[in-house]
Amino acid sequence: MVTEVRTGDTVVRLDGVRKEYGETVALDGVSLEIRAGEAVAVMGPSGCGKSTLLNMIAGLDRPSAGRVVVHGESVGELSEKGLALYRRRRIGMVFQFFNLIDDLSALDNVALAAQLTGTPARQARRRALELFEELGIANRRNAYPAVLSGGERQRVAVARALMNRPALMLADEPTGALDSRAGEQVMDLLIDLNQIGQTLVVVTHDEHLAQRCASRLVELADGRVTGEHTLEPSA
Amino acid sequence: MRAVWRAARAAVRRRRLQTLVIWLVTLVSTGSSVVALGLVDAASAPFDKAFGTLHGPHVVAAFDGGKVSDARLARAARQPGVEAVAGPFPQATVDIPRGTADYALGGTITVVGRSGPGGPVDRVDLWAGRWPARPGEVILNRQSDWTADDLGKKFRMPSGPVLTIVGFAFDLSHTADAWVTPEQMRSLHPTGRQLLLRFRDASSADALRAGLSEVTGGLPRDALTGSRTYLALKHRIGSNARAYAPYLMAFGVLGILVAVLIVANVVGGAVVSGFRHIGILKALGFTPGQVLGVYLMMISVPAVLGCALGTLAGNALAGPFFGFVFSGPASGVLHGSLGIAPWVNLLALFGMPLVCLLAALGPSVRAQRLPAARAISAGSAPRAGRALGIQRRLASVRLPRSVSLGAGLPFTRPARSALTLAAVVLGVTTVTFATGLATTLNSYGDGGHHTYDVTVYVGAYRHGEEVRPVHGDRALQSLLGGLPGAARVTARSDEEALLVGTTQPVMFEGRRGGRSLDTVLTRGRWMRRSGEVVAGAPFLRRNGVRLGDRLRLRKDDREEEVTVVGETLDTDDRLVVGGWATVTALMPRVKPIAYHVRLREGTDQEAYARAVRAADPGLSVQLSGSNSVTGTIIGSATGLTLMLALVASLGVFNTAVLNTHDRRRDLGMLKSIGMTPRQVTVMTVTSMAVLGALGSALGVPLGIAAYEMVIPRMAAGVDITLPSYMTDVWHAPVLSLSALAGVLISVVGALVPARRAARLTVAEVLRNE
Repeated sequence: MVTEVRTGDTVVRLDGVRKEYGETVALDGVSLEIRAGEAVAVMGPSGCGKSTLLNMIAGLDRPSAGRVVVHGESVGELSEKGLALYRRRRIGMVFQFFNLIDDLSALDNVALAAQLTGTPARQARRRALELFEELGIANRRNAYPAVLSGGERQRVAVARALMNRPALMLADEPTGALDSRAGEQVMDLLIDLNQIGQTLVVVTHDEHLAQRCASRLVELADGRVTGEHTLEPSA
Repeated sequence: MRAVWRAARAAVRRRRLQTLVIWLVTLVSTGSSVVALGLVDAASAPFDKAFGTLHGPHVVAAFDGGKVSDARLARAARQPGVEAVAGPFPQATVDIPRGTADYALGGTITVVGRSGPGGPVDRVDLWAGRWPARPGEVILNRQSDWTADDLGKKFRMPSGPVLTIVGFAFDLSHTADAWVTPEQMRSLHPTGRQLLLRFRDASSADALRAGLSEVTGGLPRDALTGSRTYLALKHRIGSNARAYAPYLMAFGVLGILVAVLIVANVVGGAVVSGFRHIGILKALGFTPGQVLGVYLMMISVPAVLGCALGTLAGNALAGPFFGFVFSGPASGVLHGSLGIAPWVNLLALFGMPLVCLLAALGPSVRAQRLPAARAISAGSAPRAGRALGIQRRLASVRLPRSVSLGAGLPFTRPARSALTLAAVVLGVTTVTFATGLATTLNSYGDGGHHTYDVTVYVGAYRHGEEVRPVHGDRALQSLLGGLPGAARVTARSDEEALLVGTTQPVMFEGRRGGRSLDTVLTRGRWMRRSGEVVAGAPFLRRNGVRLGDRLRLRKDDREEEVTVVGETLDTDDRLVVGGWATVTALMPRVKPIAYHVRLREGTDQEAYARAVRAADPGLSVQLSGSNSVTGTIIGSATGLTLMLALVASLGVFNTAVLNTHDRRRDLGMLKSIGMTPRQVTVMTVTSMAVLGALGSALGVPLGIAAYEMVIPRMAAGVDITLPSYMTDVWHAPVLSLSALAGVLISVVGALVPARRAARLTVAEVLRNE
């Protein structure tokens, strides 16, 4: 079931989320709201819990305490299958190191996300090709990850994240493994996506990326939210 | 060296599952190799091994006690060519009169006075009760697969003494039918002395004759009343072993191949999956030699432990297993006398670790030469993909994506998949071969076996006394035919006759009434009129007789000519079967010894047996059970097949574990984009099921080929030709079952790693990558 989301509606709500890995506390009572159409950057020093926060929202991990509610669904209470379906329908995820499957061509990597939902191969490839054209990498559709540049790999990863038209796109250090030129291109891509209404949460160390892409900045330290700022769109 | 040991110990600790798999695979593989090699060894010369273990006599010589004293015999046996001697023992030939129990001993028995079952020659297997300790006790020679239900019963000897059965023992060389204490022998008036001799040179009949001449040279000329060598016994027992040998060899070879393949796959895979670790060690300053040392040590610890325990387990398993394989009326002579040869244990203890070492050496040397940076990135940097064409084609196949993704996975690690496939192929070959073997043997066991359900013997024994039937022959046959449930009754007689032109007696079996027993015919037809007989292939071959040939049989002063019209599956080379009119023409006064009764469908055998006993107390009843020889082979084949299938499954398990370990990052990513746990399971199981299907496609023809090679040799071993309906086993259900085996082996092996992969925590996987 697809929930209709209007700009300004709350898409993500975190209430006192705590995450422990053994003795280590990665998140310590984080509360946060993200509204539809927003672009939120999460920043903080290494080990402050940025990626853990993203994993909680993506349903890749479960909170030890507190609630993560996305589109009215309490993510932590979903079954394993429920989480898989949640990720499939609601979330698009971009990783620092792309995480593409080496044995599949760029096009098949992207089409895969739709094929897992049962979309026939031909239809999935058609949709993937549309995305490749939108992202300017149509000429690289039959290439394999090993021969793509970092920027191209990340564009393929973004295309895969967009494949099932997710309500929420999450990016974990999306430019962290790219050179400055490729990083700029990916940034532009994210800005474009947000401008057409894509809700975006970006975890980054890169202040420049946060300034350019995000409308709000959430600062994290030692697993706690230490500050929130609205950002002026950069020129 | 300390750094190498520490790094290896840390690696073993960190890779608990992998270490466990190596240990488990080497344990099971070594155990099955020990059993398989032991079988090959045992099957190659079972008689010699059993005979050697029991210190069987090369010559059993009987002397006239009136012509030579015990002391002189003992002195005569002290010759340089004599390796060991037992006796002289007092020996008597006793006719057991009708009316006393014969306990399957026959009418005339040989009784020997011996003080115990051991000694330097002819160690007797005492399997029930005890050896006679005082006069009045007797122990009977009986194979251990019979029951010991006659223990404690008494019977009277013609010379007066009443003997109580206190035990049962089995003597491979059959030096006596019964043993008593030497003191008891006096009352049996022994006229003979038995000397059991082992010679240094027992290689031929001539050598044995020369050895015996050396012993008897100084004795009175006619003191030796008879002698026999072990060579005739060896020939008789050898036929059973010849039947077993090809099938045991086939299983042995398959078992060893599977074990070596799996070990090579597991060990090689472990090194390949550790490339990243190797890179880190190099970056830390480990020399290539030290890296090699770490990996060889990491593999050796679980492998050596597995091999040592596997050897112990194989030996422990071999005892009861060999007892099971070499049991039954036809092969029981070998029971309990076979074990694992020392060379098998040595080979397992040193050969299997060597296989592990060699399997680890290839990839280790590769890793040793790999630059540190490349080794480190082996697990995380994008690879130039493999089998890309297959993946591309599969991506557009109309199958669920989890299935098509899984189907392409084996092609990304071709060497690992090839080794796993080879193990599955051998597993399927074994299953196919064993299925065909079991089908044929079932058919063989049922040949003639289901022709009757109950055998009623004339005469019964109560409290050691024989009870004769109240009814006469014809009346008995109609009585049995009239009891509730009886469909038809066939009377059977067994009498010896002489085949004219030879010195050899034949057992001429007569049959009256009932239907012909066509199921046991291999060629020709069943006899229809007087003067026609059928016989087994061994009889025909031994006497150079063909179907249609005429034979002359003599009994007392009568001679009759008979025509051989059919060849049966009977393995007795002395047996000829004829109709009642044919038999009575030669032996007019012959009487049936038994009646074979076929019951109507649904009739309770036990109820019929009770009715028989109630109708005439002079009858004893035996119900048809399963054929023990075929049962033994089928049972052992099933055990071996399950063992090899388990080893093959372990190979698949290991490959699935390594594959999921290698693809953790991919699995995490797939889950992050919405692959459900069920889809992960399906994908992983499919990746192995593909190998299973390929394994079936290759293994089924190989299994059929193994069957075609082994079965005729088994039949030739017992001198029979199997009819085509027994070897025509490759029908759709059997082939489907065999084809399913590969998929089943793979699915069973892949299921646990697949479930484990399905439960991976995505965040954890992606963080660690």
